[in-house]
Amino acid sequence: MLSVSDLHLSFGGIKALRGVNFEAKKGEITGVIGPNGAGKTSLFNAISGFYTPHKGRIHFNNADITGISPDKRASLGMARTFQNIALFRGMTVLDNIKLGGHTRLNTGLFSALKYFGSARKEELELRRDIEERVIDFLEIDHIRKYPITMLSYGLQKRVELARALAMRPSVLLLDEPVAGMNREETADMARFILDVQEQYGTTILLVEHDMHMVMDICSHIVVLNFGQQIASGTPTEVAKNPAVIEAYLGVAA
Amino acid sequence: MINGNLKADYSADERILNNRNKQFFVYGSMFFLTLFPVFADDYAVLMACKMGILLIAVIGVNVLTGYTGLISLGHGAFIAIGAYSTVIFSNLFDGLPTGILPFVVVPLAISVSAIIGIIVGLPSLRVKGLYLAVATLAASFIVKFLIEQDLFSPWTGGIVGIDTPVPNILGWELDTKREMYVLITVLAICTMLAAQNLFRTRVGRAFIAIRDRDYSAEILGISLLRYKLMSFAISAGYCGLSGALGAYFYARILPDQFGLNLSLELVAALIVGGMGRTLGPFFGVIIIMLVPELIKISMSSATGGSLDWARYTAPVQEIVFGLLLVFFLLKEPLGINQITDRMLRAINRWPFARG
Amino acid sequence: MGQFTQFAINGLMSGAIYALIAVGIVSVYKATKVVNFAHGYLIMFGAYFYFTFAVIIPGQEWAPEWLASWKPSWMLEMRKGLGMFSPLGAVLDWMANIPRILLGLVGAVSCNAILGRVVERTLMRPLMGQSVFAMIMVTVGLISILSGSASLIWTADAAFVPHIAPNTPIRFELFGTMIFLFGADIVNMLIALLIFGGIVTMVKFTKAGIAIRATAEDQSTAYSMGISVPKVFSNAWVLASTTGAVAGAILATRNGISPSLGLFGFSVLAIVLMGGLDSYVGCFIAAMSVGVLEAMTQWKMGGEWAAIVPYVAVLVVIIFRPHGLMGQKEVERI
Repeated sequence: MLSVSDLHLSFGGIKALRGVNFEAKKGEITGVIGPNGAGKTSLFNAISGFYTPHKGRIHFNNADITGISPDKRASLGMARTFQNIALFRGMTVLDNIKLGGHTRLNTGLFSALKYFGSARKEELELRRDIEERVIDFLEIDHIRKYPITMLSYGLQKRVELARALAMRPSVLLLDEPVAGMNREETADMARFILDVQEQYGTTILLVEHDMHMVMDICSHIVVLNFGQQIASGTPTEVAKNPAVIEAYLGVAA
Repeated sequence: MINGNLKADYSADERILNNRNKQFFVYGSMFFLTLFPVFADDYAVLMACKMGILLIAVIGVNVLTGYTGLISLGHGAFIAIGAYSTVIFSNLFDGLPTGILPFVVVPLAISVSAIIGIIVGLPSLRVKGLYLAVATLAASFIVKFLIEQDLFSPWTGGIVGIDTPVPNILGWELDTKREMYVLITVLAICTMLAAQNLFRTRVGRAFIAIRDRDYSAEILGISLLRYKLMSFAISAGYCGLSGALGAYFYARILPDQFGLNLSLELVAALIVGGMGRTLGPFFGVIIIMLVPELIKISMSSATGGSLDWARYTAPVQEIVFGLLLVFFLLKEPLGINQITDRMLRAINRWPFARG
Repeated sequence: MGQFTQFAINGLMSGAIYALIAVGIVSVYKATKVVNFAHGYLIMFGAYFYFTFAVIIPGQEWAPEWLASWKPSWMLEMRKGLGMFSPLGAVLDWMANIPRILLGLVGAVSCNAILGRVVERTLMRPLMGQSVFAMIMVTVGLISILSGSASLIWTADAAFVPHIAPNTPIRFELFGTMIFLFGADIVNMLIALLIFGGIVTMVKFTKAGIAIRATAEDQSTAYSMGISVPKVFSNAWVLASTTGAVAGAILATRNGISPSLGLFGFSVLAIVLMGGLDSYVGCFIAAMSVGVLEAMTQWKMGGEWAAIVPYVAVLVVIIFRPHGLMGQKEVERI
């Protein structure tokens, strides 16, 4: 579904990624773990097109997407959330989620200026879809008209997930979806992630520090350390891997 | 919570005037504008026309600066392009029946303005903020300079300006200010509605996303190239329309009308009114045009219309203009629209506590 | 070739003055991250202050006579019998003006320093820590305030202002053609270069300069390291307005005084962006190049086309190098 082969990325002299190889299988949850500064977010940024790798290829749905721009990748069905929430503060929750539908709509400039007619039809269709498929699903109907700044951290993370889901993605990249959340919020989020996978068959790739959650919900785990891939396999395999134990100084053991 | 705000379907919730108070305000204002030429004197109509022309341009700048977050200090140049294109195309298509001439000339003027807007907007793909502000400023100086050149004076009239045609819409000759008022008001309302419509669709949401976090927007599937240039084209097109109306409104246009002061007036009106808000330009234009006018009137009445004091009027107006801008930036950065929003919120919640 | 050299030298001389003005914009930007759109209008105030102290005050009845024209008897002796255009005569004429030139310069610099401080205190300080956009727009509002105030205060027609240095014509031969220069222009250029060099050295080596550079890197870290950021802000503004006063005095002697002097600031703004907002070296290179380019345009296409040279140049440079010739590229993060 989504595969990365021999990916190298460097900023000046710093080598952020040195030969990363893995495949996120269709309909499964793949986790990327590693200590701070291991290159997890850099990997995500390279996959979503914000950074250009200087070596290696990225394949998505059997097509090479290494060279294409981030917005084109999004229209191919790739959605992501961000580590430090990237919601648009000038818009309400509802508009933020609607923005996720951008790539699925066709309204052009002139029909937008006119609104009545095709644009209105399309917008109402989108609204219905989002209300029924996303807002209801993630249980955020009580906050849909709120400005982003009024929401708690956990809710903001959930809205970000909602925005990604509005894209109807075939692959979903989640960058630390439960970072900074308490146990209850973490459990909620884990449940939502599993529900997404179950209901829509979405391929999910997630970066996370919460080892319990990663071990619980992922079917495949990739471990990075200093930009290098040190292990890859099922949660049990990875947990036993001596290189991983060393990198984490016994945390995972 | 808003009282009396029950919605039974999505289309009701997606309307612009989604509650009674907004409806009351907007329909009330329209009613007032309709009656206005009946009881207002010539001078008031003249002022209203000027405001309408400026308003259309400020709405355009609002799309670019307020919603897309691209600062421009040179949009006066697009008004100039719109105005001069109108005159030049009117002279060029002299053979056409006068009744349909505006229907050819005005869209052409808007297109020329929009295309030049796209060209000026090209640096916006690589530079942000300040660099763009100076780039647009530089472009506007160049446009004004070219208009003034003797080289182009057969078309533009050069530094002494050029006479403008009288608009004729399907045989209706708009040769009085009151008739122009009708045209300008109708167009101003239409353009305002069109701009508001943008922000109910994916196009407007893309603009706001670019303003708030451009790179995240790109990752969500918004092409920065396409939407930044589109925003420039829209704002320049609006300014082009404003310029076209200006050309029809004034008997003669001069390069000096479209200088730095005009560009600053656009931005100031936007800041005073409220950036990135629908009614921001509306409130801003009223303040920016009325306050200097009030100063002029009060100064001339205070000094008994003596000519000795008259020469102080212009500098005082200039200072007050600057002070207004600074005052709003320091005290109410979100503009008058923020004040009216607070009032509207209080009304919506009545009889419960404000908050 | 001869013509070329003549125009190139003229270009370098105006380039030096551009650099002097640019130093004010760059310093304020480095310290506060604000691009001062009203810098040209601070310069205009400098010019008017120079005019006030060098022409209006010495011309008053109560002012001592030596202030308006210092003519000790030995000078009158020497002046006798000298021709209209003799170099010594020009020097002596200049010496008669020394008292009012000094008063003019001192007055302009100190008044502008006060003005810069007042602007910083009342308009910039309250916005510290808020959006840069608001601060920049405040400087845009300042344009109107300053330009309106100037035409309110100085209503009299601007008269001749004394040159800062003796304006002896200088002729010499270079590459086989006569080069024709004015003494005052050369001295102006030297003053501009000295001040520019002095400020760059100061920012590089002194404690106050290091404070400015630290603030430029990261305001909140600098603050927490014990650097008084508000003080850095106000120092930068005072620095900009005082260098602006000198530039204003020079411009007043070259181009005359009018409220439109403020427009000069926009050309320099273009130059600063061309050079890269935070780089003194880049701005110097840009200032000199634009000076020469302007002179060449004047030579080949006529004087009026020279007016848009900085604007065309900045657009071209920005398209190819978005952060100017030597500017630092900002690192984008998501």
